[in-house]
Amino acid sequence: MISLTSPIRTRAHNWPAGAKLLSLCVATAVLFAIKDVPAQVLVFALVIALYTIPGRDFLAAGFRQLRLLWPFVLIVGLWHLWTGEFALGASVVLRMLSAVGLANLVTMTTRLSDMIDVVKAVTVPLRWFGLSSRVLEFAIALVIRLTPVLVERGGQLSQSWKARSRKAPNWRIILPFTVLALDDADYVAEALRARGGFNTKEDT
Amino acid sequence: MKMQRVTNQQDSQAANTLRLVDVSYDVDGRTILDRVSCELTASRIGVVGRNGSGKSTLARLLAGLVSPTRGELHVNGLDLAKDRKAALDEVGILFQNPDHQIIFPTVEEEIAFGLRQQGYSKNEAARTTSATLSDFGKSHWSEAHISALSQGQKHLVCMMAIIAMKPRLIILDEPFTGLDIPTKAQLTRYLRRYQGGLLHITHDPSDLSGYEQIVWLEGGTVRSIGDARSVMTAYEMEMAKLGGLDDISDLTH
Repeated sequence: MISLTSPIRTRAHNWPAGAKLLSLCVATAVLFAIKDVPAQVLVFALVIALYTIPGRDFLAAGFRQLRLLWPFVLIVGLWHLWTGEFALGASVVLRMLSAVGLANLVTMTTRLSDMIDVVKAVTVPLRWFGLSSRVLEFAIALVIRLTPVLVERGGQLSQSWKARSRKAPNWRIILPFTVLALDDADYVAEALRARGGFNTKEDT
Repeated sequence: MKMQRVTNQQDSQAANTLRLVDVSYDVDGRTILDRVSCELTASRIGVVGRNGSGKSTLARLLAGLVSPTRGELHVNGLDLAKDRKAALDEVGILFQNPDHQIIFPTVEEEIAFGLRQQGYSKNEAARTTSATLSDFGKSHWSEAHISALSQGQKHLVCMMAIIAMKPRLIILDEPFTGLDIPTKAQLTRYLRRYQGGLLHITHDPSDLSGYEQIVWLEGGTVRSIGDARSVMTAYEMEMAKLGGLDDISDLTH
């Protein structure tokens, strides 16, 4: 199970989730307004500085999340090297790193249930049209919750494969994996139903 | 139709009345439970039987997670498959795999979830969550991440999440399978303290020491029901006898 929220307590953990998300919106808009490279460098340095405040472990955890971006950095970087627009390329890459870095900072310092409360508040208009926002709220929690479970399932399947084969697991693992995933989904749905499912008493 | 009626009640723990009238449950034309009728009132109920005898199906029916194909089933006079809102206060269920049950990444969020589902406000849910944790001597767990917990600890989180909701009956669907002996003993100790009723599904007789009533299922029907000691003695003898046979070869079931 992945937990996106950092277990290292920071002061930002206590700030309201809505305010953090709103600031993130503003900061991202500002990032797009900044055109020159030195200013982007400065902003990125600031983002890194924010990561260092809670300590080395927090910085390392943040860095691990940002590492996911490397293919994008590579593609954008190579493209701009190809077209010769070095300044533009540097600006785009830095902007992307700063924006995702800030977003990740909000994720790391906000509890999932607080984040879902914000979704609930923002989706009030959906309820005016009779649509239940609870489905959306649950979907967010469950994707975060079940992604690592599925990764583990895939790992178990490929181990069973390797235990009886000299070849590496191939596409034939996809169907059993899908079946296992559906089976897991059934169990989770049942456990969810056991604790009230989408209908809560506050709705009535 | 044969209705077997059993009553037993201990003073300290709340008793629950389970009433099944001609309950059948089919999946894809296959009958899992076949016209089960019984009524029992007790605070500690055990359900034993071999794999495929219909134990887990009975648990899901009692929790109201599925409706019977035929027949009627009431827990404390309520049809929980229809009345899902009442079901939250009436019955909680603990499954075998905590990873199928835990939805949130931290302990306190997971415990608070069920309470919010019951209609508590955010503050009330937070208060009850911390009261539950401190009752278990686990206040230091509140912000712990589920990913950092051992399998036994995850089981305890599931248990605390259900106990916090204070249902009148907790159904345990073989929750301790695969746990080591000390972990199982510790979890059993936490369960014993529960003031509400317990219905424990297992094939291990040692799980049911101190239980009052036992239902023994076989092939989707009630083989025997009644006082724990007599049913358990008969069950253990039968299981030992079957252990000497080779009915594992049979494909007709």
